Amino acid sequence: MAAELLMTPYAMDRFMGRLIAEGPVMGPRDRRVQPGFVKFEWLSSADELVLEYTTTTIPPKKAFFPPRQPLFEFELSEPPTITAVQEATPFTLVGVHPCDLAGLSMLDDAYAREPAEACWPAARARARVIGVDCLPDEYCFCFAMNTCNSREGADLFLTPIARGYLVEVLTEAGEEMLRLSDVEDAEDEDRSQAQAFRRDKGNRLSASIDASPEEFAEILETQELGELWREIAGRCYSCGSCNTTCPTCFCFDINDEFDLGLTGGQRVRTWDSCQLQEFALVAGGHNFRRIRWQRVRHRWHRKFLYLYRTFGRPYCTGCGRCSRACTADINIVDVSNEVIARARGRV
Amino acid sequence: MPQEAPIPRFGHKPQVAFFDFACCEGCQLSVLQLEEKLLEILGHVDVVTWREAMTETSSEYDIAFCEGSITTEEDIERIRAIRKQAEVLVTLGSCASGGCHNELKNQWSMDEVLGVVYGDDAGGISTIPSRPISAVVDVDYQTFGCPVSLPEFVTVVSCMLTGQHYEPPNQPVCVECKLNDYVCVYEKGEVCLGPVTRCGCNAICTSFGHACQGCRGLMDSANLPAMLKALTREEAHSIMRMVVERHSLTEDEIAAKLRIYNNWPELRMEEAQPDDD
Repeated sequence: MAAELLMTPYAMDRFMGRLIAEGPVMGPRDRRVQPGFVKFEWLSSADELVLEYTTTTIPPKKAFFPPRQPLFEFELSEPPTITAVQEATPFTLVGVHPCDLAGLSMLDDAYAREPAEACWPAARARARVIGVDCLPDEYCFCFAMNTCNSREGADLFLTPIARGYLVEVLTEAGEEMLRLSDVEDAEDEDRSQAQAFRRDKGNRLSASIDASPEEFAEILETQELGELWREIAGRCYSCGSCNTTCPTCFCFDINDEFDLGLTGGQRVRTWDSCQLQEFALVAGGHNFRRIRWQRVRHRWHRKFLYLYRTFGRPYCTGCGRCSRACTADINIVDVSNEVIARARGRV
Repeated sequence: MPQEAPIPRFGHKPQVAFFDFACCEGCQLSVLQLEEKLLEILGHVDVVTWREAMTETSSEYDIAFCEGSITTEEDIERIRAIRKQAEVLVTLGSCASGGCHNELKNQWSMDEVLGVVYGDDAGGISTIPSRPISAVVDVDYQTFGCPVSLPEFVTVVSCMLTGQHYEPPNQPVCVECKLNDYVCVYEKGEVCLGPVTRCGCNAICTSFGHACQGCRGLMDSANLPAMLKALTREEAHSIMRMVVERHSLTEDEIAAKLRIYNNWPELRMEEAQPDDD
């Protein structure tokens, strides 16, 4: 069992202040334009950090895989030159919920698979991660996806308690970080409060998927549910928000953008979405998922069948961001359970 | 910075003219707001006609930027003449490229429209249903927005001068909104046309917390029946339920919202065929 310590709110504030003085820190921060909605952002002072929040629009994977990322700059000189855009500064990512810790770990696996991707592990190696426990809302179903107590990849993990935070020290890097802090030994009462917090969280998580990951994968693999996918597609805008808010989606597009000098520019990669009509458009003009319901089906097959079979767990963390972001109110839990119900109804 | 190398496509420093049809000329003005970027562009081209920016005019030009919709027979003759002169024709903004407000009048007969606007003085005035420039002549590059989206304008200029094709994005504003990590307008209980509207504006309205009004027009495969269902769905989860209950829009009201910028061709509000995307 990892060491458990106590950090008072005052000590937390000083700790964050020192972390920020030491190097870049990204964490949940209230929005200036739209207060009340938190986003992961580079922090300039400790009082910007909001450790108690429900969720963010886009997940903390953006710290390692920005939505828009220049890969290199080119100049069409004679000979042409290419300069890689490489960040080298170490940073700290603070305030990551358990489901998002699991999401980051899933992307570690996905990008490590051959042919391996280079940018993600390089960015991960630069960062220390501090997780924090949370209370869910009606869209969360992390309990069902077995991520609600994840500590994957975290160096420190915080649980809110009456006296401040119970700090789990999970790695040497985490222990090293604590030299910047004033921690105290936790008492039994602190530990039992942290357990009570986790119990309360579990009790609030009512949404669940009505089949085991294996049974769900088998259903998706063996059942033709075209009628259901067409019904869902009738309500789907194909706006891609389920992908662009997803902590486990890792597809991207790459484009060259010229500067107005017209002699050079940047190669930029941006997040892509399999729900967009042009996602599966290939050279020659063929689109192998041109029709909306094929793309809707693909999303479920991808999360709960292909990647489940490849990596051994569903590529869904239960964070509920896709359901929250869906302006057509297509809810991932509802649809999954409808798939299961229709498949069982047939047998 | 300004450079004198000839643009390969033209073999010389090309001459640029701006033209306006039925519109507010706001797109021309918006291009002026590019400021430093505009100076970079002026390093590559000479502007010979630009009513909002200069007094001089010229009938010799290589590139025509045309804003506004075609609403009279005279407009048709004029845009054909411009097309004949210009090697490259770029439509500027939604009036020219998509339809925009001008097409609201297409819901009525032209006689009715003339009567409402001019009353007894309508005699001798002719008008035709409003249409984008691409409905009349071939267009090389299209830019959308009301006024024109400046990020797209810059991209189109760089594509045009380097001889590259430009395909307007066929994705909704939601993509750019999410990639910028903005708060969804629906989460604040408002109705936004982002899910059906062609992106390319870098989600400028939602960046300020405002709903998308759909000024860039519908994307090609916009699912309009989905919007009717989403905004009238009674059994929705909390975020969309808040939107539905707060606004309680009827199908006609939703269609009216969509029509503000999209009336050419007629909106397709009926159920799409399952395989027809």
